[in-house]
Amino acid sequence: MGQINLKEIKSISYKKATIKKGYTDQSLHVNLDASEITIDPIEEKIKNTFIGGKGYDLWLMWNAVTGDTRWNDPENTICISSGPLGGTPGYPGGGKSIVTSISPLTGAPIDSNVGGYFGPYKKFSGFDVIQVDGKAKKDTVIFIDGIENKIKIFEAKDLPIDSYELSETLTHHFDKDKPVNVSVVTAGPGAEHTFFGCLNFSWWDAGRKRVRYKQAGRGGIGTVFADKKVKAIVARFGAISMKSNNPADLDALKRVTKTHAKEIKELDPKQNRMSLVGTTHLVPIMNDHDCLPVHNFKFGTHPESKVIGEEVFEHIFDKGFDGCWRGCTVACAHGVKDFSPFTGPYRGRKVFVDGPEYETIAGCGSSLGIFDAHTILEINFYCDAYGLDTISVGTSIAFVMECFENNLITTDHTNGMDLSFGSRFNALEIIHQMAKGEGFGAIVGKGIRNMKKIFANDFGADMAFMQDIGMESKGLEFSEYITKESLAQQGGYGLALKGPQHDEAWLIFLDMVHNFMPTFEDKAEALHWFPMFRTWFGLCGLCKLPWNDIVPEDNKNTPEPAKVAKHLGWYADFFSAVTGRKSSPDDLLAMSEAVYNFQRIFNLKMGYGTREHDTVPYRAVGPVTVEEYESRQKRYDDQLKEKYKLDITRMTSKEKVAILRQKREAQYEQLKDAVYERRGWTQNGIPTVATVKHLGIDFPEVMEVLKKNGVA
Amino acid sequence: MVSHNLLIEVDEKQVQWSENMTIASLLKTLDNVDSCAVVRLNGRLVSSPKFTETLIPDNSKIQLLPLVAGG
Repeated sequence: MGQINLKEIKSISYKKATIKKGYTDQSLHVNLDASEITIDPIEEKIKNTFIGGKGYDLWLMWNAVTGDTRWNDPENTICISSGPLGGTPGYPGGGKSIVTSISPLTGAPIDSNVGGYFGPYKKFSGFDVIQVDGKAKKDTVIFIDGIENKIKIFEAKDLPIDSYELSETLTHHFDKDKPVNVSVVTAGPGAEHTFFGCLNFSWWDAGRKRVRYKQAGRGGIGTVFADKKVKAIVARFGAISMKSNNPADLDALKRVTKTHAKEIKELDPKQNRMSLVGTTHLVPIMNDHDCLPVHNFKFGTHPESKVIGEEVFEHIFDKGFDGCWRGCTVACAHGVKDFSPFTGPYRGRKVFVDGPEYETIAGCGSSLGIFDAHTILEINFYCDAYGLDTISVGTSIAFVMECFENNLITTDHTNGMDLSFGSRFNALEIIHQMAKGEGFGAIVGKGIRNMKKIFANDFGADMAFMQDIGMESKGLEFSEYITKESLAQQGGYGLALKGPQHDEAWLIFLDMVHNFMPTFEDKAEALHWFPMFRTWFGLCGLCKLPWNDIVPEDNKNTPEPAKVAKHLGWYADFFSAVTGRKSSPDDLLAMSEAVYNFQRIFNLKMGYGTREHDTVPYRAVGPVTVEEYESRQKRYDDQLKEKYKLDITRMTSKEKVAILRQKREAQYEQLKDAVYERRGWTQNGIPTVATVKHLGIDFPEVMEVLKKNGVA
Repeated sequence: MVSHNLLIEVDEKQVQWSENMTIASLLKTLDNVDSCAVVRLNGRLVSSPKFTETLIPDNSKIQLLPLVAGG
C-alpha cells in the first residue's frame, strides 16, 4: 500500500442533529462544482409522504434534475439514504443503504439496495440522506466524520486504482486504530469506462480483520460516480446500539428484534441455509424448474449446473460470521479466501472474493455456458474490483456470445476472440478490457441496448433478431431468471419501474409452479401487492430476505402464505416501535404506493414511463428460434393444442414458433391492461389524477407532468 | 452397516417408510403440502419436477422447504 495524497479543499464543522424516532430530519448536500457543503432540514410533509430511503432519494433527485437532464450532466444527482429503521443492530437485514441516480443505461431514475455500514454511519453522523451533484475537476474524496462532526472534501492523488484496494486504504487512513468505525463507498476503473459501473459499500469484518464489500450493482450508478470524479465517499462513526435510532418505544423494538432474529436463527438451518450457502441454493432449484438461464436465456436447465450450486459453494465459502450488517442472523454475505486468479493484474496473488450470489453464478456462469466455479469466482472478483455490475456484465456477454454463434458478429469484430458459449478465458478478457475501456470490451461495456445499435449500424447485424434475444428492457439488462412459462414474472420484469430486476416482484413459483394466480386479474393483483410491499424495504433501510426467504413453520397454514402474514405484522411493529407512527401492514403498503407511483411519474418526467416502455424481448416471453421451441416441444405443442385449441398436425416448427408468439405477445398486452387498471393507471400506463390525489403526491410539479402527458 | 427400521424423518417427525416410496407418493400422504415445490432429501435439494422419479431410501431425513421466494 503506497502513500496516498489527500489535499483538503473544504471543511465544515457541524452540530450533530439529535436523532428522533429513526430520523435526523436533515439532508447533506455536496455540490462538486463549487465544493459547497450544505445541510438542509427535511420538512414534515416530505417525511410523511416519502418515509425515507428511496423515497427521500427520489424527492431530492426530482428537485435536482429536469426532464432534459442526462446521466452525465452536472445536475444529475447521486443520493444515498438509509431509512428510519436502518441501523438497528440485531434486526435481520437492518442496515441497508438505497442509492439512486439517473441511469446511464435507462435515462431514468435507477435505485439499488445495498448492504455494508455506510447508510447507518451516515445517518448516525446526522444525515438521513446525502445528495451529491455537480462535477469535480479533480479526483475527489468526500469524508463524513460523525465522530469529529466534520464534513471534508479532498482532492485526491496517488490512490489505488481498483475498488478493493481503494476501500481498504481509505479505511485504514481514516481510522487506523478502529477500522470498524469506517465505511467506504467506491467505484473503480470499470465504472469509468462502461455504462454499468457499480458501487462497492464496505464494512470491517472484525472476525477476519479485513474490509468486506457489498455492491449497489444495478443501472450504472458507479458510472455516474466516476463521471463526477468522486473516488470515494467515506463515513466514520463510533459505537452503535439499539438506542442510536432513539426509538419511540425501545422495549417494543427490543421485543420484535429479538423475536425475528431468533426465528431466523432457528429456522434458516431447516430451510434455505442462507447463513451457510447464501443464495447459491437457488442454482439447483432454478435448474430443476427450467428457470436457470443457460446460453443467454435460451434454455433453463443444464446437467453441469450441479458443479456451480450450493453443493460446491458450501465447501468453498470461508467459514465465519457473514452478516453485512451488525448482528444480522441471515448472515448470507459469504466469500472465498485465498483465491488465486489465473488472469489479470491479480494473477497468482491470493485474494478474498466477496461472493458469489445466485445472480452472479447464473449471469456469469450458466448463461455464458461456463460451468466452472473457479472462473465464476474470478469473474466475480474482477467485476467487484473494477466496479462492474455482475448482472449486466453476465447478461451482456451472454448476448454477445449468442450473436457470435449466429455470425452476427465475428472474430473480425472481436479482435480475434472466439466468443462462443463456454469461452471462459475470453469472457474474462472482455472484463479486463472493460476496465481499461479498450478493445471489444469497450463496446460490450455500453450495454445491450447500445450494442444492438452498434452491431446493426456498424457490423450489419440483424436488428430484429437482436431485439428478440437481447435481454434488456428499458435499457437495463435482465437479472437471472427464465420467465417464458410465467406470464406474471414477465410482467414482474417488464413492468418494473427501473427495468428488469427481480426486487420488485418475484412471482415465478407462485405463478408457474403453484398456479396460485390463474386469471389476469389474479396476476394483476400480485403485480400490485408484491411490488408495493417490496418497495417498503427500500423506504426503511431494510433487506427483504428476512421477510420471505425464511418463514414461520406455520406459514403454510395461513390463507396467503406468499405474503408471510406473521412477518408483515412484525414489520408493522418494527416501524411503529421506531417511529412512533402506529402502523398496520396495510399502512406499510400505502407508504410504498405513494413512492411507487411517484417514481413512475418521475420516469414520465424523464421521457419514459408509458406503455411502450414496458416491453420485454420475446426471449423473455417464448421461444425465439426453432431450436428453442424443439428443446421444449412437448410443452409448447400441448399448449397450442390444449390452451389455444389449434390443430398443429401439419404445422412446421417454424410455423408453431410464429403462432405461439402471436398468442403469447397478445397475452402480455392483456396483462399490461389488467395491471394498469389495478394500479389506478391509464391504459397508457400513467397514474391517473385520482390515484395521485388519493396517495397524497399531487404536488403542483407532479400534476404538471401528468398534464403535459395528457392526464388531467 | 445401515440398519433398516422402515422409518424416515419428515420435518423432524417419524413417518413409516415403504419400498419404492417416492417424494411424490410421500407428499400424497401428508396434509397441507400444496405449496411444497422443493424438499431437502438427506441434505440434497430435490425440486417438484423430480418428485415422481426420486426414490426415498430407508432411514432418510427429509425437510419440506417453504415457498421459494426468489431473490
